[in-house]
Amino acid sequence: MKLALQFFNKIKRSGTIGIPILFSIVIFVVWELLVFLLEIPEYLLPPPSTIFIEVGTNFGLLLGHMSMTMFAAISGYLLANAIGFSTGVLFAHSKTIEKGLYPYAIALKTTPVIAMAPLLILWFGTDIESKIATAALICFFPIIVNSVKGLTSVDKDSLDLFKSYSASKWQIFTKLRLRTSLPYVFSALKISTGLSVVGAVVGEFVGANVGIGYLILVSSYHLETSTMFAAIMISAIGGVSFFAVISIIEKKVIFWQKSLETG
Amino acid sequence: MPSIIEVQDLSKYYGKHLVYEKLNFDVKEGEFISIIGPSGCGKTTLLKILGGLIEHSSGNISINGQPVKNALKARKLGFVFQNPVLLPWRISSSNIELPLEIQGINNSPKLSEELLKIVGLEGFENYYPGELSGGMQQRVAIARALAFKPLILMMDEPFGALDEITRSHMNLELLRIWKEEKASISTVIFVTHSISEAVFLSDRILVLSAGPSKIEEIVDIDLPRPRKTEMKHSKRYIEFMEHLRKIIGED
Repeated sequence: MKLALQFFNKIKRSGTIGIPILFSIVIFVVWELLVFLLEIPEYLLPPPSTIFIEVGTNFGLLLGHMSMTMFAAISGYLLANAIGFSTGVLFAHSKTIEKGLYPYAIALKTTPVIAMAPLLILWFGTDIESKIATAALICFFPIIVNSVKGLTSVDKDSLDLFKSYSASKWQIFTKLRLRTSLPYVFSALKISTGLSVVGAVVGEFVGANVGIGYLILVSSYHLETSTMFAAIMISAIGGVSFFAVISIIEKKVIFWQKSLETG
Repeated sequence: MPSIIEVQDLSKYYGKHLVYEKLNFDVKEGEFISIIGPSGCGKTTLLKILGGLIEHSSGNISINGQPVKNALKARKLGFVFQNPVLLPWRISSSNIELPLEIQGINNSPKLSEELLKIVGLEGFENYYPGELSGGMQQRVAIARALAFKPLILMMDEPFGALDEITRSHMNLELLRIWKEEKASISTVIFVTHSISEAVFLSDRILVLSAGPSKIEEIVDIDLPRPRKTEMKHSKRYIEFMEHLRKIIGED
């Protein structure tokens, strides 16, 4: 009992990581029990133990597929964010360009990526390029919106300050706007980590012979539900790790946000 | 004393809304002048017009006989706003060097050190704004305003966001900095909504009426210098306070 209490306290102290882990353990135990007690067939819902065994035995295979998916997701992500941020700079600079192109950006956003995927497969083939395209397409909107918002969110006082130094537009951009846009930009960068994985997997659903989406689709045809679950789990871990990496980079880049909070 | 700023028939409209009509006054070289008035009377707007940050609608303003834009370009003006407006990603010293950096002027590496010493923040070169208190941040902002060695320091309610104790301390500090030889400021134009602060600091107080504003009165404050906190209890000080309260109609 004392040992359990010590263990619990340790988890409590390690807060952000400990508590979610504790919750997952509880969920897995309940899940395992329910499957056993309700005698749910394995092809409908395999118990966690079977899924873990599946992950363990086929780890190499899963990782191979996932690395293809992540490669497509990250490539699309980088491409979309680079183009999207440049577009945002353009929009922030010129109202005319923004007015002209914004409806298209909205159209891009509201068209489901799954509706575009067959077209992209047709254009780019069933190889990695089409997955990069679907991933990029889905990441495009958040960065445009947020970079425009960030670049134009400079407060009047700061602008007055720069004006009082007779600063050029370029100086205001490099020394002020770029920096103040960063919190917004990173918020988009974080949102689109998960979206990029979604985009890549959708691309794989529509036409592929490799990747985690392909694996999920194939195992569903063969009612290999535990493989499916293992693949889903790996893809989730991929998305979460991507998010975590970007969050760490954010903390390093926008270090002053934290010092603002504590100050 | 000769005038450093001359304002003739200054009018300002925001669209159709009249802010002032035909203001006439001057600012004398070496004086500490405050602008005071009921809220919404356009004190800040007036300061920003004098500093060339806002365009006026008609009339004439000259600084040392030249248009305001020239004075701004010649770096004769230093600004301190109500918020410190420090860039949070820069340490104190690089915040102070920002104006020089923008104008492409080489500065001695000792400059920010010296300026921080003048504003009483020796040794805080490497602190980020987030690590400093509100009063300290405003000191850094003053140091930054001094980086150009401006002739005229324009301050827009610089201590308005500070608590009472810090504020009166900063008032004394400001008077010290103004007279500091190294700071090289000749004239201070100071916008405030605090009558007490205005009386304590100023040589003259320009009182604006509620909008559309005109100059209600320019009050000469002939309290001796250097000003000391004890003076706030003197008969003369209290008379000024009462007189100003009466004309501003704050009761």
